[in-house]
Formats: sequence, structure tokens, C-alpha cells
Amino acid sequence: MTGRPPAQTWLEWVGPMWRRAIGITFLLALSAVFVVPIAWMTTTSFQSGEKMFQLATEWIPSEWHPENYPNALSRDAFPTYFLNSFVISGVVMIGNVVFGTLAGYGLAKFRFPGDRFVLLVILSTLMLPLEVTLIPTFLVIHQFGWLNSYQGIAGPLLIEAFGIFLMRQSILSIPSDYLEAARIDGAGELRILWQIIVPMCWPALAVLAILSFRDSWDQFLWPLTVVSVDEYRTYPLGMVRFEEDYGNPPTEQMAIAVLATIPVFLLFAVLQRWVNRGFGLSGLK
Amino acid sequence: MSSTFSTNRSPPTARSWFELNYRYRIPFWGIAYVLPTVLFFAVFKFGPMLWAIELSFTNYDMVSTPTFIGLENYRGLIADPIFRETLINTLVYIAGSTILITVVGLALALAINTGVPGARYCMTAMFLTNLMPIIAVCLVWRFLLHPYGLVNQLLSPLGFGRINWVTDSATAMPAIIMVTVWRFAPYFMVIFLAGLLAIPQDYYEAAKLDGANVFQRFWHVTLPQLSPTIFFVVVVSALLSARIFLMPYIITRGGPGNSTRVLSMLIYETGFSYLKMGRAAAISVVLFAIMMAFTVLQMRLFRGSEQERFR
Repeated sequence: MTGRPPAQTWLEWVGPMWRRAIGITFLLALSAVFVVPIAWMTTTSFQSGEKMFQLATEWIPSEWHPENYPNALSRDAFPTYFLNSFVISGVVMIGNVVFGTLAGYGLAKFRFPGDRFVLLVILSTLMLPLEVTLIPTFLVIHQFGWLNSYQGIAGPLLIEAFGIFLMRQSILSIPSDYLEAARIDGAGELRILWQIIVPMCWPALAVLAILSFRDSWDQFLWPLTVVSVDEYRTYPLGMVRFEEDYGNPPTEQMAIAVLATIPVFLLFAVLQRWVNRGFGLSGLK
Repeated sequence: MSSTFSTNRSPPTARSWFELNYRYRIPFWGIAYVLPTVLFFAVFKFGPMLWAIELSFTNYDMVSTPTFIGLENYRGLIADPIFRETLINTLVYIAGSTILITVVGLALALAINTGVPGARYCMTAMFLTNLMPIIAVCLVWRFLLHPYGLVNQLLSPLGFGRINWVTDSATAMPAIIMVTVWRFAPYFMVIFLAGLLAIPQDYYEAAKLDGANVFQRFWHVTLPQLSPTIFFVVVVSALLSARIFLMPYIITRGGPGNSTRVLSMLIYETGFSYLKMGRAAAISVVLFAIMMAFTVLQMRLFRGSEQERFR
């Protein structure tokens, strides 16, 4: 990377070799705290049911049970639930990326009457998450006739203030001279957005994409409120029903949990090149 | 700008028309970019909130037409021991998880920032918990916190007995806070890391020349330089914890007794299990007030950073 020395070395009272060894061990131990539960989920999803609550966890199953996966999927309408979640999260992700970029750009690079006020209005929506406005938003969706529909679940999630601020922050760092130069050369406003702003914002766009996908993939309370038919259930609702039914083996719950985790990890793997820069971590070794 | 256009052979009338147009065209585009978002927030954020405030003064139940009952809902809430307990639980949860998320997030960032080889990979590994779906997190931790689960297995060599994490009212809330920290601290670790990387290296060099040791440098350089980031993390994680629903809903079902019931659960139950929409709206207004307190802090912070930008 940039060859930047570490900002602050906690371990400098010991020699460099020992420092490294202690540092690596310490970091690995810390990482283990975060990784072990994920590993447990994965290994348990291949475990046989009766092995689950032994006195010692069997980290590598003595007998592999990959059939937990098809079994779990066939018990409830999980393929439908996952499909619903994909559709909704995809739409919400696109909505957040598109409107976050538009509004972020509008607020970063344009002066118009009331622009400060709009900024304040958008900031103040941080105190109005769906958990707070649950009852009236449900009534609004009810008025629209959108209960039990994709638009009913995805609609209120389509724009979040977080994305607007992320994009605004990123676009502020683009010199305005570029835009002026393009305007003088006769580029249309949409072309400026598409050919100058967007290519310079990939890192922020990647962060926004992954976080907005994850947030709508995680949504539970809102679908629980507006969905009452199996056809439009998302996978978290399916998982809770699955879990509440005591006949279902816990290993199969873990199989569904693994399946639910894979799409977010995959998206992260695809976008990771930009995500680190988007978070401002390019100086990290 | 005039020199650019002087080479342009268009007649002066067309030019002045262009410049006039230009003056208004640019703000017009700014408004056009922002308008969809403002309309969206009017319909899905501010409209519903005003409606919630209105409903909180009625006895609306989804069936009959709402009648105005004044402060009756609020009076009922104050008199209700379950509501009071839930409010206290929510505040305890917000305080506990905000403090721990900030401390753990900062500690993780400092550990990553030691520049040990492979630190990047450890960071990515930790960040994975933040991408794991919350529902999966809750189901996994419910098993890990089971009396015969992994947590007790690992603690037993240290001399702990069998702890009933989620069924004992003394440990249920700490257990949920612990899961929250496990899930969210790595996100804030990343925010802290970005803040740490932005501190100019010269400050550390200067402090070192002045003979400051590691802890003095942390106290006199890192902490003051990082204070905007710390403030941001505190506010954002408080807003995040105020909204919590799924973790207590899955891990403890709000129990044992009421010991882990939080406001969002109470809103859902009051509104959709008992159809007391007016009362649920009144609880929403209480939750809104909590969120507003933190958002006002956030705005003050935001205004500070904006002033810095324009200075």
C-alpha cells in the first residue's frame, strides 16, 4: 500500500519480533470471537440433529449431513421466501443507490433557495425509522391498497437519509471545476452526472449498495406488519415460523441461516475492492 | 467565463439568453435532483409521524371511527407498569449497547491499526458479523447461549457454573446487549479506523520527540483528534439501539417476565395484537422523543463539521 507507518504502536516496548508475534496472536484471538459463531453455524448446519447439544461441540462433523439443506428448504415455502427477499432487497438497493446519488449530488453541488432547509429535513428523518412510524405507515400502505404486495414491503424502504449523506459527502470531494468545465463544453446535466460524478463515486456507491442491500435483507418488523399471506413472506418471517414450530430440527434452522448469509457475503466479496476505499481505509496495511 | 464565450460567434441576444438561462438552469437541476426524495419523505416519514401524533390523542382501533380522547392514552401509559418497565429496559439497552459498541469498536480499531501483518484480513473477518443477517445472528446466539451451548462450554473451564443466559432476568438483558455488540461493533470499528487513519502522522512524531509514551500519545493525540468520530459513533449507535426489535423478539421473546421487552415490541403488540392503534401511536411518540434527543445531538455535530468545511 502506501507504506504508511502504523499510526500508533501499542507494542513498542518489546522487540520487533515479539511485537509481531504478540500482535498477531492477539488479533487472531479477537477475530476468533467474531468468526467462531459463524463457523459454528456452518458446521452445525451439516451436523446430525442429536449431536447438537453434546457437552463438547464437534467442530468437524464425524458424519456429514448435507441433506439438512434440501430437507429444510422443502419444509416451508423457503424458495418463495428467498425469491421475495431477493426481489425486495434488489429493488431497495437500486432505489437507495439511485435516489441517494441524485439527492446527494443535488445537495453537494447546487445552490437553490431552501437547500440548507432540505438538508436539515433529510437529516431529521434519521429520527423517523419505520419502528417509530410503524402504525401510521401501515395505515398509509393500507390506504394505498398495498398490503401483501412487493410495493408495500419495498416502498417505505426505498430512500434512506444515510445513503444521501454518504453520497453527498463523497461528491463534495469532487472539485466543482470539473463540472464547470463540462458545462462550458456543452455537456448536459444528466451527462455530467453519469460521466463525471458516478465514475468518481464507485467506492461510496459500493458501500451504499452493500449496506442498503443488507438493511433490507435484514428487515423483519416491517414485512411482519404488512404481509399476512405466504405468497409475499420474506425469508426472515419464514425463519421465525420455522423456528417456532418445535418439530423442526435446529440443524435445519442453521442450514437456512447459512443460505441466508451467503448472498450478503457474496455481494461483499464482489464489491470489496471498492468498499475499503469507500470507508476511507485505503491507508490500511 | 466571458473570455470563453467571446470566441463564440453567436449573436449577443442569444448569448445573454444563454447566460440568463444558465443562472436559473443550475438551481432548477438541483431542485429536480432533490425533489423526489423530499416528496418521498413527506409521504413516508413526516406525513406518518404527524398522523401518529394525531392518532395518539384518539382511541382508534382499526374498526370504529377514531374519537378524540385528549391525553387519555398518555395518562394510561404512565399508569401502566408494563410500559414503565419497557421504557426503562429500552433506556438501559440503549445506554449499555451504545457505551459497549463505542468502547469495543474503538478497541478493535486500535488493535487493527497496530500495523501487524494480516491486520486487514482480521478486519474483514470481523466485519463479516456485520453482514450476517440479524435473524441468523439471533438464531445462532440463541443456541450458543443455551444452558448447554457453546458459551457455557467455553466458560466452564474458567469455573463458571451453568448460566441460564436467556431465562434468567439478571442475565437476559446483558446477553442481548452482548449479541448487539458482537453484531454492530465491527461496523463502528471500520468508522474508527477511518478516523484513526486520518490523524496526521506528524502529531505522533512530534509527541514522540517530546517524550510522550504510548498512553500519553493516546490520551493527548488520538482521543482529541478522534473526538468527532467518537461523538458520531455514540449518536449513531444510540439511534440504532433505540430501534432494536428482532434481538429481544427472537432471543428472549421479551422475557423472562418483561425484563427484555423494548418499546418497538410494545408498539407492535399494542397496535397489531390488541388493535389499540391510538395507544400504540402514543408509545411511538415516546420512542420518537427518545430518537429526537439523539438526533438533535447529531445535528449539532453536523453543523459543527459544516462550519469547519466553509471556514
